[in-house]
Amino acid sequence: MGGRIATSCVGAAGDGMIGGSDGRFVLGRRELALGAATLSLAGARTALAGGTGKFVTANNNSYDTLDPHVVFDIGRIASRLNLYDALVRWTDDPPKLNMWLAEKVDISPDALSYTFTLKDAKFHDGSPVTADDVVYSIERILALKKGAYGLFSSVVNPGTTKAIDAKTVRFTLTKPYAVFMAVLPEMWVVNSKMVRAHEKGGDWGGGWLASHEAGSGSFRLAHYDPAVGFSANRFADHFAGWGPKYLDQVEFLGILEVASRVLGLEKGEFDALDGYTPYDQIRRMRGKPNVQILAKPSLRTMYFIIHNRRPPLDDVNMRRALCYAFDYDGFINNLLDGSVARNAGIIPDPMWGAPKDLQGYTYDLDKAKAALAKVKGSLRTLTINALGGYPQSGQAAELLQSGLAKIGVTATILSQPWPVVDAKLGNEKLSADLIPLWRSAYFADPDNWTGYIYNSKQIGRGNSSFFSNARFDELTDKALVLVKQEDRQPLYEEASRILVDQAAGLFIYNTNYYGAFDKRVRGVRYCPIGDAQDMRWQWLA
Amino acid sequence: MRLLGLIARRLIWVPLTLLGLVVLVFMVSHVVPSDPARILAGENATTAQLVALRHEYGFDRPLPVQLLRYIVAVIHGNMGISLYTETPVAGEIWRRLPATMELAFYSMLVAVGLGVPLGVAAALNRNSWFDHVLRVVTVSGLAIAAFWLAILLQLLFSMWLGVTPVQGRISDFGPSGVTGFYTIDAALSGDWSMEIDVLRHLALPVATLSFPAMATIVRFTRAGVIGTLGSFFVDYQRAMGIPRRVTVWRYVLRSALTGTLTQIGLVFGNLLAGAVVVEAVFDWPGLGQFAVNSILQSDYNAILGFTIYVGVMFVAVNLLIDIGQVVLDPRGR
Repeated sequence: MGGRIATSCVGAAGDGMIGGSDGRFVLGRRELALGAATLSLAGARTALAGGTGKFVTANNNSYDTLDPHVVFDIGRIASRLNLYDALVRWTDDPPKLNMWLAEKVDISPDALSYTFTLKDAKFHDGSPVTADDVVYSIERILALKKGAYGLFSSVVNPGTTKAIDAKTVRFTLTKPYAVFMAVLPEMWVVNSKMVRAHEKGGDWGGGWLASHEAGSGSFRLAHYDPAVGFSANRFADHFAGWGPKYLDQVEFLGILEVASRVLGLEKGEFDALDGYTPYDQIRRMRGKPNVQILAKPSLRTMYFIIHNRRPPLDDVNMRRALCYAFDYDGFINNLLDGSVARNAGIIPDPMWGAPKDLQGYTYDLDKAKAALAKVKGSLRTLTINALGGYPQSGQAAELLQSGLAKIGVTATILSQPWPVVDAKLGNEKLSADLIPLWRSAYFADPDNWTGYIYNSKQIGRGNSSFFSNARFDELTDKALVLVKQEDRQPLYEEASRILVDQAAGLFIYNTNYYGAFDKRVRGVRYCPIGDAQDMRWQWLA
Repeated sequence: MRLLGLIARRLIWVPLTLLGLVVLVFMVSHVVPSDPARILAGENATTAQLVALRHEYGFDRPLPVQLLRYIVAVIHGNMGISLYTETPVAGEIWRRLPATMELAFYSMLVAVGLGVPLGVAAALNRNSWFDHVLRVVTVSGLAIAAFWLAILLQLLFSMWLGVTPVQGRISDFGPSGVTGFYTIDAALSGDWSMEIDVLRHLALPVATLSFPAMATIVRFTRAGVIGTLGSFFVDYQRAMGIPRRVTVWRYVLRSALTGTLTQIGLVFGNLLAGAVVVEAVFDWPGLGQFAVNSILQSDYNAILGFTIYVGVMFVAVNLLIDIGQVVLDPRGR
């Protein structure tokens, strides 16, 4: 099946999820049969004099490096989203995959070859974005083995990506990989000539790119201080054009202290905060006259990793007993004050692939005891490895410990920092019995929450639960080689049901995003991948 | 010559002290069962990626070999690569040093500039209402946690009175000056509005840091002056008709300050430790913030680098204090 091309256009300035809907104009749209919606911004080059000034965001993470190919996290995504472009980009909520630097994509019938045609775009130095730049960018990721490398390494070999001509680039995958389009937004395209000019000792320009930029993004770097943050000015020649109103300058500051971020917003020193503000602060800020709060379902589920191989947890009845012994309502409504939403499975409910009628476990000690009675092996004290510094993780551990005590199962809680817990993940002997933690949206595809962390081929890597189920593997393997979303969706829905039926994990809730903004902010387009830090849509009233 | 001999003897101990510090901190930081390669590679890292990183950074070598390599590198001014920022730690420290030094300098200036006169005044007015009030203030200064005081000051001066910024070192990005001290660079550039902006940003962090330091200096100066005032030489000078003002500020203070000077060395150490908290609260882009980040990210090399920096500063300041004491008190020679 060759890829059909669809184009739809969005102007700039946003759809006004908060504060109005000025400036959005959709010029046309056709859905892609591939399942990946595409947007083209050609034709929307409305470059009007509508600068609305400087916008300051206080972020909970420092911007230690600007190199887009060595980091892969949400905390520092602002530098990548605003200084760089990729072939495709996620926008809005639920996330939609849009054509970005790419005009169109042709996918070969065997789903191994992806041929992209590029738009006419310019880097910040005025040079055109070419296929050579795309090739250099993917080769750089594969060579550095950092950042988003893990997303591409299993399907793209070095030297296999070819520039057909200046505007055409072809990726040849080692195997069909339906998630390829979904992970491409993390393949940021750098100006190869500029980076090559600064290469030293085979570092792929890493030393230079850590504190400079070579992108084509909506904003051009003006100042950078790793101890402070960065500021960038609007790139008037951006290929996507600009709406009637836009920001002249954006500034992202790394402010580690929550109180300082909140006080700064209230005082007017900042226009926005990151999406990780504690809920008690969000609740407090709701009453402030100059603050507005944007609340949206996110794509980050909290769950317990269960060690599915270690007795007695290798017995499904034991795992079900655990799932019945956790007080979901008490945790969500009392401890978290209803700030999150119950999510019966591992796939966030707003995501396609999550079964809408999934019946999860409830807090039912009678059912827990009944399941426990069926356990064949002997019981023992379980170890819950909570994440130090994450109060919710500790609270969830204590709540489960309490529930288990009521059915006669003892559990001890071991609280350790994330790096310590992380170092043991994937190690069958060292990994704890139970670990309360979160699964974020590294890429907006159901595989992020299913195959990547529960397929038996991922044991020792993404699969830290040591869960193994032949039918589940079959479903998630098959879903990776299909292209159409409508074909993949039922597979993931069944896979999700298997995880719940087999109690592969103890699934608790899906996070909500709470963004705090100054009242003057307009045009915010929230996307769970990147929160609301794609600044080309926002402006100040 | 005796002074030079003293300095030489002290200098001999400096590298040995620092070596002990490096070995200790290196071993402690590697006792934690954390995998730096996983931190570096991120959650979605492949096994091949982890193996490559461990080899690249030498994490697959035996611990003594890693320690030896680290010591040799530090001697050559190389503190390794930050696991989080992937930039040289020495460069990171050097870049942030002016911010912390400026904060520490003004905090010490305020602490000493206010602490010594207040300590003398309290001693001269012993058990007066002034002495009692000052005692309450100094005890508060020693007892109040820096982060709590910082937030209180933010609420009062930034939020309610609106006279100071909540956070940061400057309203925009700093001047591209030569010293890295914004107060000096702004003055050199003749931009007085920037100078005022910098001073407004300095006010609260300096107040927070200098308050406990000043309290210590007041207490020790007061005790030193009271003790010296009972000396025979003071009675003699009084009998000779030397004005009290001259006796106190020229003779008594010199003798009394030897104890205070020792405390200033210790206070400076506390000030560096306090800067970690204060910089985090005020988002001061200095080494304290760097240390907090490093600890949160389990960035071994950065933590080691910061510890060595603190060790060097502490040793250097105490060396200066030792020299200062000998200069002030001839008995030390």
